[in-house]
Amino acid sequence: MTKGSRLRLVLRDVASGCAFASMAVSGQLPLWTLGLYGVALVAALAGKRLFARRAKLTALLLLGVAAVLAVNVTSGALNLVVAACAFAGLISAHRLLSAPDAATDGQVHLSGLLMVAGGAALSGELVYGLFLVAFSVLSSVSMALGVVEAAVPEGEPVPVRAVLRPLATGVTFAVAGAMAFFILFPRLNWNMTGPRAAPGLGPATTGFSNTVRLGGAGTIKDNPRIVLRATLSPDPGGDALNAYWVGRTYDIFDGLEWTNAGGVRREREPLLTLRPGGDNLIHQRVELLPAYGGRTLIALETPSRLGNAVANGSTGSRRTFLQELAGGEARFLEAGLSYSYEAYSLPPGGSGDTFRRLPSVEQDALLALPEALDPRVSQTAARVLNGEREPLAAAQKLAAWLQREHAYTLELSGEREDPLADFLFERKAGHCEHFATALTLMLRTQGIRARLATGFFGGERVNDGYVLRAGDAHAWTHVLVPERGFVTVDATPPAHRPSQGSRLLQRLLGLYEALESRWRNSVVDYSFRDQVDVARALVRPPKGSESTERSRLPPPRAWGAALLAGMVVYAAWRLVTRLVGRPRPHEATRFVDLVEAVLLPARLFRAEGETLEDLDARLAREGHPLAPALAPATRRYLEARFGGRPLRQGEAEQLIRALQRAVTAHVRLEAQRARAAAAEPRARAS
Amino acid sequence: MERISAELGRAVQGKEAQARLVTTCLVSGGHLLLEDVPGVGKTTLAEALARACGLSFARVQFTADLMPADILGAQIFHAQTATFQFRPGPLFRQLVLADELNRAPPRTQSALLEAMAQGQVSLDGSTHALPSPFTVVATQNPVDFSGTYPLPDSQLDRFMLRLSLGHPAPDVEAKLLATRGRAPPLDAVQTVSSPEEVDMLRTLASELRLDGTVADYVVRLARATREHGDIERGASTRAVLALGAAARTQALWEARDFVTPGDVRAVLVPCWAHRVLLRSAVQGVAARDEAAHLLEELTRKVPAPR
Repeated sequence: MTKGSRLRLVLRDVASGCAFASMAVSGQLPLWTLGLYGVALVAALAGKRLFARRAKLTALLLLGVAAVLAVNVTSGALNLVVAACAFAGLISAHRLLSAPDAATDGQVHLSGLLMVAGGAALSGELVYGLFLVAFSVLSSVSMALGVVEAAVPEGEPVPVRAVLRPLATGVTFAVAGAMAFFILFPRLNWNMTGPRAAPGLGPATTGFSNTVRLGGAGTIKDNPRIVLRATLSPDPGGDALNAYWVGRTYDIFDGLEWTNAGGVRREREPLLTLRPGGDNLIHQRVELLPAYGGRTLIALETPSRLGNAVANGSTGSRRTFLQELAGGEARFLEAGLSYSYEAYSLPPGGSGDTFRRLPSVEQDALLALPEALDPRVSQTAARVLNGEREPLAAAQKLAAWLQREHAYTLELSGEREDPLADFLFERKAGHCEHFATALTLMLRTQGIRARLATGFFGGERVNDGYVLRAGDAHAWTHVLVPERGFVTVDATPPAHRPSQGSRLLQRLLGLYEALESRWRNSVVDYSFRDQVDVARALVRPPKGSESTERSRLPPPRAWGAALLAGMVVYAAWRLVTRLVGRPRPHEATRFVDLVEAVLLPARLFRAEGETLEDLDARLAREGHPLAPALAPATRRYLEARFGGRPLRQGEAEQLIRALQRAVTAHVRLEAQRARAAAAEPRARAS
Repeated sequence: MERISAELGRAVQGKEAQARLVTTCLVSGGHLLLEDVPGVGKTTLAEALARACGLSFARVQFTADLMPADILGAQIFHAQTATFQFRPGPLFRQLVLADELNRAPPRTQSALLEAMAQGQVSLDGSTHALPSPFTVVATQNPVDFSGTYPLPDSQLDRFMLRLSLGHPAPDVEAKLLATRGRAPPLDAVQTVSSPEEVDMLRTLASELRLDGTVADYVVRLARATREHGDIERGASTRAVLALGAAARTQALWEARDFVTPGDVRAVLVPCWAHRVLLRSAVQGVAARDEAAHLLEELTRKVPAPR
């Protein structure tokens, strides 16, 4: 082995080692795979290619390793991704120990790439980045040496020393340039060029309208898309929050629809104080995701202060003002794809809202009943309450009755004239809006002030925060209790308050939304501002260790994802352009294809670069028996293709049939002749 | 055309393919370059062509001391009228045989080539139109280069087709030996056409349909020669035009009123082999052979329209 190829192999092996190390730094790989790979690497570096003789037989070892990993994965002892990474490493180890030829080199480099990708999935720390760079440099140089070696004629020395220096310089420049380009090149946001449609899984499905209309199916309850993410402080802990997140309330019901008596209360407020606060406020940092689709702010019941609102639009993020509407609704003044804001809420039970703060129109509305209210509603309420006058107790009694006597359903077809009476007395089944409306109105018939509240119910723990899904949308009742204010009473059966979607779908959706948000944050939205931040961080080193963790740089996983996506897009683009660019075959060209297919049984093929015209000429020259039959077809083809005289309707079929007949006859004749030729010697012998 | 070709075949026996190409060149309105060793019938072929078509014929033997005036003509002073009068040179014929063109000095060569390109002669400020049809058949000996001025490549480009006759087949040669003694070969050639008919054929050929895809094929072939690694200089635009014209006449041979890719390929080598400049240092016949070989390879590589 020459010096050059030994150097190339050492570089290759060390590059593979770097790639393996990029996975190993995550500390997740099983110890025995580390050991196996280490032994293989040391042996390979020492030039002992143990598997050179029996590559196929030793590949069976890999099967054994795969089986062990599979058992580990199925038993739950090993993560699937980790197992895949470990297997990639062991494939590489096997290849390191095989006979070094061009194919093996390629496989080692390829498995190195796999390992680097695996490392991105497992860790993605700074150490990983270092190993990634080392791998790319070493394997580039090794590959380049391979190219040089292949170009040098057999037996001549490889000019290693001469090429190594320019190679190293080139690779260094390439790596540095690639990093600098991504980090420093002034870039526009990808979505700057035009307004984007609602991102992700199609348009948003929730959102707050100005009214709540009874009737119709509650399809939204099984929608698992995440609409809101919030981090709370103090953090209540626990997997399910089961809290009410209010958006707005309604006070006037006309028999079909809930509306509000009041109008806009305050315009353009940077900070909205809804209710007097207290010492034990719950702070929320809320993010409304694009799937939300509305402009109404959501906060834990009962919100007391909202502010620090930022709308994230297609052109970037900016602060936005808030607007207070009737029903305690707060809205963003500007539309965005997603929003973030901060909210302070009073802890449950102690609502600081006072009735007297409401305008008189709204005070009156809390007892208003629709004109055409079914008299049975009032009668039933009186019967159930049985003299109970205390508002909260009365509400709880009614809610218990509703839950007992009525079923929860999302399948409500058809528009009803009086949906409330239909729910209470006919169908005896409905969803949250029906339950809440029934409770509110029954209370009002008994002279107790109440209103409808809408928002979300639930809160599912994800990392250090909680998420709400579109299916968590909910409606409930606020009962006015003297001296306490509005108190929440929920008439909907507890099991049906949160989202009704399937768990699996929720998991998948959660995964997708997480990926999408990561993608947007790290690649799509990696913008000029982030670059400025990077530059600033370089000039002024961060003060505490906390700020170093919050790096603005996208994680290596995102880099890998961007690269992969780029490659996929490029491949798709190539495919599409090739398909689009492919000229539509001329009619005569299809005819010629038919002719050639017909000629196949007679074993007549076009030679390389030969056209039908040439074939026809050749057959005529050779005096082939099929030449006269082929001539008219060829003639017509040429006329149709180049002479501007297209084939008439049915003419192609006619010509093909004639040719087909001639070919069949010819083939039969040939077969007869062959049989005769075979029979002849036998006859002679006998 | 068949008739003309048949008459040519009578004069130069066993060379039907070349006779066809010579006729093609005449009908396409191009000039012909015959390259071959002496004594294979180049001159006979040219004379036979003139006779078969009834064209006025002149033969100019190019020598090292041949001056432009010798072929173009000169102003002669008439003593009686005391005026200069133009006396046309041998070029003012419908078919001119420029024998051993490469022996004449470049000045004379270029005078001839200019006349070929323009179809007219400029002399002392007056322009004299050449007769129509006007065709030059030039011959060149590709082996014996001593004392010659080889034609520059740019001049070669002006010849539409280049042919070499090659030695006749043994049986033809034997027959020649037996019959030649009795009658000169040109006596057998009869006039079967007329200059008017040649003109008519030219018009006919130029009106043949050349489909866009075939034109594209020609262009792609040209580009392939320009991009080929072994070719220093590929086919020029003039070469593309010449190939189109020759292919049209070729289609006429096949009694078609449109051109097929096959027609293009049939005339590709005689039309382009002398126009491409190879990178390798080979000269003369070998260069032509190699160019022909490369062009044939290109016809296999460049896909014909289907």
